[in-house]
Amino acid sequence: MGPDPLALPGTLDALDPLADFVHAAAAAAGLDKKAAGRLHLAVDEVATNTVTHAYGERGLTGQLYLSAEIAPDVLRIHLEDTGPAYDPTATPPPADLDKPLEERGVGGLGIFLARRNVDAFLYERRGDRNRVTFVVRRPGRPG
Amino acid sequence: MKTEISRQPTHVLVACEGHIDGKTAPELQATLAPLFGEASAIVLDLSKVDYMSSAGLRVLLLVHRQLVAKKGRTVLVGLSESLTETMRITGFLQFFETQPTLAAVKF
Repeated sequence: MGPDPLALPGTLDALDPLADFVHAAAAAAGLDKKAAGRLHLAVDEVATNTVTHAYGERGLTGQLYLSAEIAPDVLRIHLEDTGPAYDPTATPPPADLDKPLEERGVGGLGIFLARRNVDAFLYERRGDRNRVTFVVRRPGRPG
Repeated sequence: MKTEISRQPTHVLVACEGHIDGKTAPELQATLAPLFGEASAIVLDLSKVDYMSSAGLRVLLLVHRQLVAKKGRTVLVGLSESLTETMRITGFLQFFETQPTLAAVKF
């Protein structure tokens, strides 16, 4: 059994309980510490993006809704928000990753890391919610 | 997260402990900002940082830019496996001097 679904205020204060939630789900699914850390980073990056851009910069308040689904072969974490429709899976990777840091922009790295750190990174618009799903294969279970 | 600043004759050492994420990275940035004017070398001891998101990369980018602009030096000490991985896949790692321990940093 993974952790119960959780609703958190859509602020940066959500990041600590979000970390606890993801680590609890990862432990319940049998992920090792490294895989759990990678998944945590992925969920954190998308949540931070939502809190900062979808809510904060627009003066909107909202919540973050987390749920975990442990299937025989994979763990799925769903992260939902009520911000404007936004599909992070459609965000192109940063084009300047091999440039010197002095010439770099600072945007886009979070979503790049999120995609990189999970086995599948999915998006759907459901009613008034954005729903991002992070899928990670469970160890020892061919998928 | 916690930070502790110690001023050495050759550099400023900033020891960090805890998470560097979207909430704590601005605090770290505020801690570091006044140091750019006084130090030509900043050593960031990250050996007790167990987690860093892209918000931390933004702070490192700022530090790098400030120190490069004044031809100074930035050293990152004690990067964990996960921090190293995050920095490698985003193309950050190659631009920083890294050392496994404080003792390995030579001035």
